Amino acid sequence: MKRPLCLLPLLALVGLRLAAQPSFEGPVPSTLPEVDEDRRRAAYVRRVDEMLGWAAAGGKAQTADPARLDLAMIAAKIVRGEDLPGCSQRVIDLMREPGTGPFWMFPSVCIAYLGRDRLSPEALASIRTAWKTTRQLRGDTENHFMMYYASLYLMAELYPDEPAETWYSGRSSAENLAEASAFLIKWFDTTTTVGQGEFNTSNYIGEYAIPLSFLANWSKDPAMRQRASMMLDWLFAELATSSLNGVLRGPHSRTDEGAVIERWQAMTSFFSWLLFGNTPPTAGYSGWGLYFAPLAKTYHLPEVIYRIATDRRGDFIQRDRARVRRFWRYSDELSPPVYKTNYLRRDYGVGSTTGGLIDPIQSHVWDVTWAEPDPRGKHPTMFSMHPHSSSRSLQSSFTAYPEPWIKGVTFEGKPSYDSPDKLMGSSPYEQVFQDLDTVIALYAIAPGERFPHINGFFSKDLINVTEDASGWIFAQGGRAYLAYRPLAGYHWIPYLHYKSGWAKERLDLGGRVLTSPHLNNGTIVQAAGVGEFADFAAFQRAIRALPLAFKLDPLPAVEMTTLRGNKISFAFGTVPQVNGRAVDYRDWKLFEGPHLNAEVGGRKLTITHGRLERVLDFNTLSVTDRVK
Amino acid sequence: MNIRHSLLLSALGCALPLLAAPAVPAAPEYEFFIAANINRNYVIGSKIVTTNGVFRRDDAGAWQHVGYNDTGISAFAFDPRDRNVIYTTTINGLWRSLDGGKLWRICNDSEMTEGLDVAVDPNAPDHVYLALPDGIAFSSDRAQHLERREHGLPARGKFTRALAIDRTRAGRVLAGCEIGIYLTEDAGKNWRQVLPTKDTVADIQQSPHDPRIWFAVTQSAGAWRSADGGLTWIHVPAAPGDRPLYNVTFDVTNPNRLAIGSWGRGVWTSEDGGQTWADRNAGLPAGARVWRVGVDPAGRLFASVVEETLFQSADFGRTWRPDALAGSAVKKFLLLPKAVK
Repeated sequence: MKRPLCLLPLLALVGLRLAAQPSFEGPVPSTLPEVDEDRRRAAYVRRVDEMLGWAAAGGKAQTADPARLDLAMIAAKIVRGEDLPGCSQRVIDLMREPGTGPFWMFPSVCIAYLGRDRLSPEALASIRTAWKTTRQLRGDTENHFMMYYASLYLMAELYPDEPAETWYSGRSSAENLAEASAFLIKWFDTTTTVGQGEFNTSNYIGEYAIPLSFLANWSKDPAMRQRASMMLDWLFAELATSSLNGVLRGPHSRTDEGAVIERWQAMTSFFSWLLFGNTPPTAGYSGWGLYFAPLAKTYHLPEVIYRIATDRRGDFIQRDRARVRRFWRYSDELSPPVYKTNYLRRDYGVGSTTGGLIDPIQSHVWDVTWAEPDPRGKHPTMFSMHPHSSSRSLQSSFTAYPEPWIKGVTFEGKPSYDSPDKLMGSSPYEQVFQDLDTVIALYAIAPGERFPHINGFFSKDLINVTEDASGWIFAQGGRAYLAYRPLAGYHWIPYLHYKSGWAKERLDLGGRVLTSPHLNNGTIVQAAGVGEFADFAAFQRAIRALPLAFKLDPLPAVEMTTLRGNKISFAFGTVPQVNGRAVDYRDWKLFEGPHLNAEVGGRKLTITHGRLERVLDFNTLSVTDRVK
Repeated sequence: MNIRHSLLLSALGCALPLLAAPAVPAAPEYEFFIAANINRNYVIGSKIVTTNGVFRRDDAGAWQHVGYNDTGISAFAFDPRDRNVIYTTTINGLWRSLDGGKLWRICNDSEMTEGLDVAVDPNAPDHVYLALPDGIAFSSDRAQHLERREHGLPARGKFTRALAIDRTRAGRVLAGCEIGIYLTEDAGKNWRQVLPTKDTVADIQQSPHDPRIWFAVTQSAGAWRSADGGLTWIHVPAAPGDRPLYNVTFDVTNPNRLAIGSWGRGVWTSEDGGQTWADRNAGLPAGARVWRVGVDPAGRLFASVVEETLFQSADFGRTWRPDALAGSAVKKFLLLPKAVK
């Protein structure tokens, strides 16, 4: 059976029992912006040094035993100039059993470059030999390809003019370089014109940022260096615009069971900590994050991105486009567009796509999340979803024979996939519309579907949960008031938490799942800031007073006026209307909002905060900064 | 054989065969190969601790490993002139070795990925066809260069799981796609649909006894038979059709014997050319989940059972015994006339 190749990055998050990781264990950092550029930079450098020191001291193993050094620890030691003979020997040992894919390729490239003038010739030769003897799998996802080709590109540049028989690929250095370059340039082009297929991922940001940092520093081609450098800004600008207090909000093309509930538990939080300093890092710096550290000091976060990430004084809404993962089968389009909305306020965020199948396993479609003073261990999110499980959906994106997959994925990194109480994944039977901090999710589940119900998540961290006679369920999360309206009958079941995608055991940490066993179904969630109302009762009165009409048959439909005064009309299978005007998604830009703007097909991103502006123009490979 | 065949066609309601019945050649000698993944716990990047890939069954009945230890081979083919020329499809696409597996070259770039089947034209052995999740590629130079050849395939629905080359004519190829079987008679320059299906065609096989006879099985649309070289197809109602059928195989020792491997239906066989079918799962592990079936040159039936091992039967499925390769998942059985080299 084919293995789900997309799972390995999460291995890095598993079983990390850590010691002496100061920021992970320490108090939550301030979310207030550091306006002094020198102090900001100094703090960034300190964070980088913390990572390098932790890794060089043995990382998660916390041992100086050379026999237990992994490539991330070796990279840190090389940067710090520690025990280079020992590092050389350990590299030789490790290269006797090379890995077999992109998650081995980029670490080995990291060592090959960092060690050029540090490690012994024998150690460097051992890496090169491994790239001859061991076939490397390219994988089946966008991040796999990015890691694979960035690594191949750099190794081909490092060892130019070598014949085909000296590479695992059976292609010469020039052929490898040409193939890798073609992919990378096309990926830049696709991402800057129609967006990523893996958009707003909880954990895969590193799989892009790390190879990009390598390319930005080590490529011999100045154009490739420039593209990679600009794309780092692009990625981090997206993170800044989609996060609140360092925690990524809204929908994800790919996430895992842990991150979708404990929102901070994601590699994006590590990058927020590193870049913005406004949240604690994840355990072990999310594992792969250590490979960003060796070159991290070469990256200078543009001030405009920093300010976007840390300034939540004003509300803003960002509407963007991305793509669905490739659908090989059962779709009229290979990568249909995805329309994303993220509305961020000081105390909470509301984000969504328009629903439908995105990634067959790992998507997260919508939620309301709130800010927590310390996000560690908190479950600050509310949403509903249809627990879709289907071999046909798996077939759409995976080429392996589908029948073993439902069982297979549950054993190999997606333990919840076939569970009726799961809380991760997208469904072809869900359609979503968001207007500011109102979300309407409608469900028309096909008869015979494996799980004929929807699940709504109610966190352990909610307070004052009230099932009101009006049909609304009121609650408070952080400084957000929440109103959840199930459109059909329901019952409660306990929520059992997975620590991550690889965690098989489930923990009863509190929280409940609202399960509604009706094929035609729906959820409305309205959020508001605590400061907007005199008290919780006033919020409830306001919600009860909202004009609302809905029906479930023959298909679910809602007409309501939101707390913000907008009249919404939304029926399953139809175009939503706001104040009588149909929402035309065809007009959506690649990015549109106060901070990020780009046209579809434009290859140009304008990043704005206040008077600061940075334009990343991939047409001319130029970066333009100005103060308006 | 031909009389029996005509009777069968009548029984199945077929039109008369359009192609002339071939002269019966001297029976060639055959070799039997499989592609097996044994490393069940492999995840990309992890250490490979078992021997995987292509195996040839030797005269003593042992499986001899051929080529590279790859956990992800979905299909393979050889140059009929030279067994040292090996093609394997994997998640990377298509690999080729010209020296019996010492050195390998990846034949495709990033625009092609996840090769699903590969076929070499026995009448034009430099010509290689590659099945892809989004179409079909062709090479005229032993896969040194690959090009898309998809004219006539649909814009969507060209997910291609299976390729089968008509051994009677160069450039005549059948492709099993998401929405049917497609035929080219000019080496992939033009394709036309010869059978629409409601789901993916998983396997297509040509009878080793009569090249006009073909069988195809599908993901959810049952089994199909052609008696005119793949131009027209009729449904085989007696074959199981309610569960995914992964492959079909002929028995080179007996023109009436066929077997089907299925997820959910396990092993089914026919001993009358496909008119009737029998459940042959007794003696196999429960669950009736079979990756593939194959028949070796001596007429032994093999079945790769999911999460179990390879089984063999000397009486075409009536009784079974475990073979070697415990824990293997066989993705392809291949019976080939012996090569010169």
